[in-house]
Amino acid sequence: MKPLRSTSTESDVESDVTVVTERPWNVIVWNDPVTPMTVVEVVFKRIFGYSNNKCTQLMLTVHHEGRAIVWSGQRERAESYCVKLQVAGLQATVELDS
Amino acid sequence: MPGKLFIRRRDGRIEIRLNDVGRGAIREVFAHVVASERDPDHEWHLSMNAPINPSHDNDDPVSTLARQHDIATNAELSVMTLNEQFLNDAEAWAWLCTLQVALRSTAVSKGIFDEEKLSSCAPELLDEIHLMQQLLFDLAACF
Repeated sequence: MKPLRSTSTESDVESDVTVVTERPWNVIVWNDPVTPMTVVEVVFKRIFGYSNNKCTQLMLTVHHEGRAIVWSGQRERAESYCVKLQVAGLQATVELDS
Repeated sequence: MPGKLFIRRRDGRIEIRLNDVGRGAIREVFAHVVASERDPDHEWHLSMNAPINPSHDNDDPVSTLARQHDIATNAELSVMTLNEQFLNDAEAWAWLCTLQVALRSTAVSKGIFDEEKLSSCAPELLDEIHLMQQLLFDLAACF
């Protein structure tokens, strides 16, 4: 028999908030002594669609610090970006955020 | 080499301003990339198969296959368009990627990992590297 009125005490409101507990994967680009700086910038712009300023900043970080995190997030996407960077001839790897 | 080697025109195409000698040099570079992708004993093969995730013993086969396919596709498209006067955007991007792969593979295979090593390498090798850098510099300016 179906009740005339719901007696459930559960909340009808569903939460839209997703709690992410996993650490992100970083895409790292490493410095090398032969790649022209403009090539690094162009590759960042083409692959990630970043602004000119962001591409320049990332390129300078690679140049001065030896490496830069150019993207962080889900592992599959990180590996996909890493492959794109390697196809474009840059030295790139992925690593779990520490 | 005076003047720019690649020019982006108003219609979006990229004009190649290389003479026969320049095209011949690029032909050789592109042919090396195609050969090294197919030949595991080629001196460039190792640098073109660098680790994606160094924390794992083996990379995801799907990722490595995708890389192999894309490098080969770019190199083959570059070879196919070697005699063109103008490149469209995708062709020019393939040229840039293939030239950059060749430049880095040259450096890695010769153990050039820092500025000091670069400045002390043989003059012929340095000329080869400078030529590829100049081509890349002018091509990158078109994007």
